[in-house]
Amino acid sequence: MFLAWSEIKKNKLRFLLITSILLLVSFLVFFLSGLANGLASMNREAIDSWKVDAVLLTEESDKSLYESALDKKIADELDAKETAVVSQMGAIANNGETKQNVMLFGIDREEFIKPEVSEGDPTFYVQNGVVASDVLKDEGFKIGDTLELSSTDTKLTIVGFTEKARFNASPILYMKLNDMQKIKYGDAYTMNKDLVNAIVIKDKDWATLSLPDNTEIIETEKFIENLPGYTEQNLTLVYMIYFLFVISAAIVAIFLYVLTVQKISMFGLMKAQGISSAYLARSVVAQTFILALIGVVLAFGLTLLAGSFLPNAVPIMFDIPTMIIYGLVLIVVAILGAVISVWTIIRIDPLEAIGG
Amino acid sequence: MVLELRNAKKTFGEGNTLVEAMKETNFLVERGELVAVIGPSGSGKSTFLTVAGALQTPSEGEVIINGKELSQLNEKQRSKIRLQEIGFILQASNLVPFLTVDQQLELLNKVKKDNMTKDEQRKLYEDLGITKLHKNYPSDLSGGERQRVAIAKALFSKPAILLADEPTASLDSDRAFEVMELLRNETKSNQTATIVVTHDIRLIQYVDKVYKMTDGVLQLESSAGMSLDSTE
Repeated sequence: MFLAWSEIKKNKLRFLLITSILLLVSFLVFFLSGLANGLASMNREAIDSWKVDAVLLTEESDKSLYESALDKKIADELDAKETAVVSQMGAIANNGETKQNVMLFGIDREEFIKPEVSEGDPTFYVQNGVVASDVLKDEGFKIGDTLELSSTDTKLTIVGFTEKARFNASPILYMKLNDMQKIKYGDAYTMNKDLVNAIVIKDKDWATLSLPDNTEIIETEKFIENLPGYTEQNLTLVYMIYFLFVISAAIVAIFLYVLTVQKISMFGLMKAQGISSAYLARSVVAQTFILALIGVVLAFGLTLLAGSFLPNAVPIMFDIPTMIIYGLVLIVVAILGAVISVWTIIRIDPLEAIGG
Repeated sequence: MVLELRNAKKTFGEGNTLVEAMKETNFLVERGELVAVIGPSGSGKSTFLTVAGALQTPSEGEVIINGKELSQLNEKQRSKIRLQEIGFILQASNLVPFLTVDQQLELLNKVKKDNMTKDEQRKLYEDLGITKLHKNYPSDLSGGERQRVAIAKALFSKPAILLADEPTASLDSDRAFEVMELLRNETKSNQTATIVVTHDIRLIQYVDKVYKMTDGVLQLESSAGMSLDSTE
């Protein structure tokens, strides 16, 4: 530490440069992780808020909620602890000023996925009353707004707002199953009124449930991964983050190697005097640790600061534990970058330093 | 004696390309003794210095430093001996560029015990005339000052042996004589065995014994009191 720190103090500029590069890379990693997290929750926060273990769909739907249609009476036949039915429909909602892509979710008021209302009336007594995702508030929607839908003449009324109600990047409007079915099936309502998209299940032992024919039960996580675009989007961001780890290792490796090569004769002289390779190697590792720690900690603070200035439209959500893990990975990866330099130091022959 | 070479020999290569850099050498130096090894470049001086300084082992024979025979030791073990027993003063200043004069010495405290105490260090600084420079970096020092700091650094670890390789190479005559004077005084007051390897024969007036290296053969040229002119 003594050598490492003394050198940093004496050569502030060159170490400031490497720290600032590490800072920028860390900043990008943290920012992307926030973005990945934010985009993921746009897709899944509603399902996460239900805390369900598994989802029952028809087999032929290929794990897609949109393509699945099954009889809601199946729920009564299932031997699961708790179930809830979900009927889904996409639409464009227009309050007279703003048009917004929304997801209508028809639910049974007696079942557990009934939303916790953060504002407004928690009941659905009003005919065609909906509890809307609170992100719609930012778009100018208010309680009492009458919504026209793109596909029907039926008008909806916003009776309340709820948090964490987005699914597959669209805000949800929760409504009574019956109201919903009328809109969804129109003239064919009577024939189809029992057809829902999925039955969600709260039961740790879901895998052992006996299922009706032509249905499939999948773990919630797997269901989410199969949402259109979800996995692709997530992997893209995660790969970018992993690539940044590699980049930061490479940057540190190159920079430290250049510094080490410049100091070969100095290290040789020190080794000639009997200072061990281990001591010199430790010093380089300590130096890397100091630089990486400073860079990562500053980037951490800077990311949170920058995040608080971003408009709500940017779907960024910082998950502190993930960021701490990424920060530690960045430090470890930087230290791995110092390995080439350590190896170089070990190979220096003190004899050469004397010119013998 | 502190340093002894017994039938030590250093060869490189083999067969037709065998080079005897240092032919069979016997060499002794006692504490408090200042000896010079002179000779033209390529004569094997450097080989002698690196063998005597435990930087490499002899191909044959023995090297005994402070009672320890080291021809069988590996680099790690020899590194320890160098740290404990030998102080090096090298032609290129062997100072670490990013450490102050004080820190150069402090570094040794980090890697080795039983170095000079604060009081001894203060006295050493006074003897060498570098008291005022203790917070300076090597780049702020003149060549002579740097060499004096190098001497301080070499003596700080209380070595049994002081090895100086062309310690005056980068200095003008006055500075060179000053450095030799200092080396002589420190050798006597710290009772180190000091070996100065040089090609500058003007320096030999300061030493107790002069050895000459010619084509890998080391010979005693003169002892104190002997006239140098008679051998030239």
